[in-house]
Amino acid sequence: MAILVPQPNRSLADQAYVPAIAKGLGQTMRKFFKNTLSSKKDIVTLRYPEETVEYPERFRGVHRLTQRADGSPRCVACLCCSTACPAQCIHIEAGEYEQGDPRHGYERFPKVFVIDELRCIFCGYCVEACPCDAIRMDTGMHMPPSTDRSHFIYDRETLLSIPGRDGTHESANPRHEPGDPSHPGIDRDRH
Amino acid sequence: MATITIDGKEVPFEQGDTIIRAAHRQGMEIPHYCWHPGLSVAANCRMCLVEIRSGRQMNMPILKWDSGKSSFVPDTKPKLQPACQMAATEGMEVVTKSDHVKEAQASVQEFLLLNHPVDCPICDQAGECRLQDYWLEHQTTLKRKQSEPVHKPKAVRFGPTIVYDAERCIMCTRCIRVCDELAGDHVLDMRQRGNKNEIFVAPGRELDHNYTLMTEHVCPVGALTSKDFRFKARVWFLKTKDSVCSGCATGCNSHVDYDPRYNQVQRLRPRDNEQVNKHWMCDKGMVSYHEVHEGRVLMPLSSGQVGERTETSWANAESAVLKTLKGANGDRVAVVLSALHSTEDNWGLAQLAQALGAKHYLAARPDWKGDNVLMHNDHNPNRRGAQHVANTVLGGESQNVATLVRALQAGEIDTVVSLGPTTEGEAELAQYLTQHPGKATLIALTANQGPLSDAAQHVIPVASWAEAPGSYINAQGLSQNYQAAIPAQGQILPTWLRCMNWHEAIKGGRPAATLADVRNALGTLGTAPPVSPEPQAQAGGL
Repeated sequence: MAILVPQPNRSLADQAYVPAIAKGLGQTMRKFFKNTLSSKKDIVTLRYPEETVEYPERFRGVHRLTQRADGSPRCVACLCCSTACPAQCIHIEAGEYEQGDPRHGYERFPKVFVIDELRCIFCGYCVEACPCDAIRMDTGMHMPPSTDRSHFIYDRETLLSIPGRDGTHESANPRHEPGDPSHPGIDRDRH
Repeated sequence: MATITIDGKEVPFEQGDTIIRAAHRQGMEIPHYCWHPGLSVAANCRMCLVEIRSGRQMNMPILKWDSGKSSFVPDTKPKLQPACQMAATEGMEVVTKSDHVKEAQASVQEFLLLNHPVDCPICDQAGECRLQDYWLEHQTTLKRKQSEPVHKPKAVRFGPTIVYDAERCIMCTRCIRVCDELAGDHVLDMRQRGNKNEIFVAPGRELDHNYTLMTEHVCPVGALTSKDFRFKARVWFLKTKDSVCSGCATGCNSHVDYDPRYNQVQRLRPRDNEQVNKHWMCDKGMVSYHEVHEGRVLMPLSSGQVGERTETSWANAESAVLKTLKGANGDRVAVVLSALHSTEDNWGLAQLAQALGAKHYLAARPDWKGDNVLMHNDHNPNRRGAQHVANTVLGGESQNVATLVRALQAGEIDTVVSLGPTTEGEAELAQYLTQHPGKATLIALTANQGPLSDAAQHVIPVASWAEAPGSYINAQGLSQNYQAAIPAQGQILPTWLRCMNWHEAIKGGRPAATLADVRNALGTLGTAPPVSPEPQAQAGGL
């Protein structure tokens, strides 16, 4: 059975195509002269990598481990970040402070802290989970590219060496260490 | 049976029961810190306050804030009662979810957290902490206190096994009561009062009795931590399986907590069984899981000459063992059953002994010093099970290893198949074998390295109690099943299965193909020992 296909209702100008081509080329030429000759340029292309865009303040960049005043990691190896991590890319091995250290028997530190940045999905859950403000993604950097997979396995020293956007290794949240004058003390006779 | 009503539900109780115990039996949880089913009532945490609507009402006059009038107005409020101390009486009507009760629970919770350091990230209790659970469940507000909390000593050494953190402590006195009532040693008490209250060890003493780890086990918060477990694992990664302690003939029921990511057993916890261990385990039993990982034999070993030992492939090791066994004269073969292995394992080995027509002996650990609480003088979990198998399958009690050494010296034996780790008489046997090379061949089926495995010509690793299910018959005569927690590594098999393989190779046919077959066969042997009842389900921990 034959099917009646409705004919498209085109005007003569549509069927000739030439006016549409002229219109499109006109738009192109208007942008061309505006961005080359006029002073009101609206060009957005950057000469990357010589020029870069400043990422927004809440951009989740590559991780860093914050440091205490003495340069040791703030991390206490509680494993909250690796628990929260949906990509399971954080590996931590906890160690205990030496006998005689004021933190001995009180808290742990990460002997090994490895993030597999290739597995990481940059969701920021680790930062959210961290109760010590020890892991942050405020570096403002994305991961530097490489052709070698092993370059994306960030170990403890690498993570500690990455500064925040302000260039420092500490965080704005203060920390009271046991033994500090600022620490309220662990001896009940002082109170 | 007499009943009380809790939140509209009929709950039966026995004479002398408190409300919380009657509820606990039914699997209903009334929030509590200081009450423990195995300890006396202290009624000091006030978390289990409930409203009792039956009988004589006690109403207290109070002033209640009326926001409409912007002033306090006189009102009344029922006197709440601690469910852990209030005896249940016929027809009592208890309400645990009224507004008054909820307000009281929220206030108690806020009070307990007033000076809490909230150091959950460095606390080993995090994840199984009552303060965390009840904060989520019952505390309706955030902490209102703005000032610095009172600080108290942290990381105080209580003894060789326990570390105390006074800041986290809520003074429930469970640990004191465990020492008093379980161990019978009043070594802990509390001093000071109010927010300076803390637990301390009796001057000149240490917390060093046989049940120190139970103080940590009953601690509802992270105040007491065991040196064995602290800083080692985060509890939310651990999975648990039901097991039975292999430390002594009491056969305490236990939970094996293991990390499934690394297949590593991290700790044991007592599992409630009113007939055997109630709620407790001794310190030696609690740390007995170390043998699952320490000194393990993971590959077959063989030695050409004494002292030289090399790892060998499973195929080579098995063919060498089978060659030895096939060539042996049955009268001159000795099979050594083990009081440390499950009844199933011993049954498998006994089947092999029967097929070979071998003599049988029993290896056991020497007695240790028990106590009148849980530790039995017999250091072996399954002496009765092994003897039961020997009596029924092999027709007679097994002699000890010293007898075997005498038989070897007399030249009556030239092949020994032994099961199990470190035992009594092992050193003498090993010494004889190393001093008389070539006199006798020793095939050691063992999970752990020891003098015997060092002296053996063939070492075949077998699954430990954490790696294969089985059962022990304890001193009471109860047969108690345990589950496998972690998989055995490589080609390691449970002893009974390995013996079935050898039985098939030597004599053809397998007396049992599955664990169920073994248990069926055991059930038909003589008078089967009674099986321990499954422990009652617990309502959300203790």
